[in-house]
Amino acid sequence: MNRVTRIGTAVAIGGLLASAAHAHGIWFAQRAKQIAIIYGIGADDLESVKRQPNMESVAAYDADYKPIAATLRQDGPLVVVDVDAPPTLVAAVLQNGTWSWLPGGEIVKKNRVEAPTSTRTEITIKYAVTIQGPLGKPIPPLANQTLQIVPVGAIPAMLGQPLTYRVLFQGKPVAGAELINDMVNDPDATPIKTKADGTATLPVRNQGLNVIRAVHISPSPDLKKADKVEHTATLAFTLAHKPE
Amino acid sequence: MTKLLKLSLAALAATAAPVLAHGGDHPMHGGQVLLVGETAFELVGKPAGAELYVVEDGDDIAAAGYAAKLTVDAAGKKTDYVAAPAGGNRFVAEGAKLPKGAKVGVLLINTQSKARQMATFAIK
Repeated sequence: MNRVTRIGTAVAIGGLLASAAHAHGIWFAQRAKQIAIIYGIGADDLESVKRQPNMESVAAYDADYKPIAATLRQDGPLVVVDVDAPPTLVAAVLQNGTWSWLPGGEIVKKNRVEAPTSTRTEITIKYAVTIQGPLGKPIPPLANQTLQIVPVGAIPAMLGQPLTYRVLFQGKPVAGAELINDMVNDPDATPIKTKADGTATLPVRNQGLNVIRAVHISPSPDLKKADKVEHTATLAFTLAHKPE
Repeated sequence: MTKLLKLSLAALAATAAPVLAHGGDHPMHGGQVLLVGETAFELVGKPAGAELYVVEDGDDIAAAGYAAKLTVDAAGKKTDYVAAPAGGNRFVAEGAKLPKGAKVGVLLINTQSKARQMATFAIK
């Protein structure tokens, strides 16, 4: 491998690492009939129990979007949500810490003060919402979901059909958020950006679990400690399969 | 109701609709059956209350190992009822009424593992 190739390979790997590091998210999925919170990306179903202390604002809502009691429970290697009645929506937030990229490419869980040579430092917050029941009305902005994806109109019954999403930041449509339509099975898809009204349209990809992901960057609350805040939100819903 | 909302409701009802799974979907006790994954819930209205029967992947569950609750949403009012184990795979929610058009949420908790199962009936 010549020098140019080596440099190119190093840059590419560095880019992948950087991309992967800030692409992780949380989403909801069914595990042994339970509503589980998954942390990871693609097929990487990572250590959610380790991150449970940083999970906050777990909430569930009925068909009128009134809160239902919801709590987190460790169940073996999983974190599941216990709710007191069948929910229409379940939501959660993970404060995923501040991460710095060191000149050598290493990514460490430190802020700029702790890692003064870092080339990039981000506060990372993950949000997740799942649709568990029929929607009788549009999903409103939910408490603590600073970044939130909502479907616009009907969710199709079959895969391949287009679905418009609106991405909300602090409860309002946001332009330029990056959206992909399958964080689990196609995490490296080229994202599309939301329009001025916060919308973007993508085909529904799976006749099963769909995990839509949006990423939006906001200014850092403290430039001495971090350059920016990266918000990553998911919306999970399922399309029913044919009867057996 | 707008056409869009009707479409949305229909599509999302389909989204959340239970699908046929292992085990039958025919009522064994004269009630209404809802299949969620591999679990069949049968809800039966009786003069004194409501009965719930649960079959999992073709096998009756042992009701004694579970706690159950019914949430009846009717005429804009929600009422919770404890559905007590009553032998076999049967639970009884004394005093619960199941009026046509009501939504009835079922919450079933395995008392040992704490695992929860849920279903929502639209009473016909």
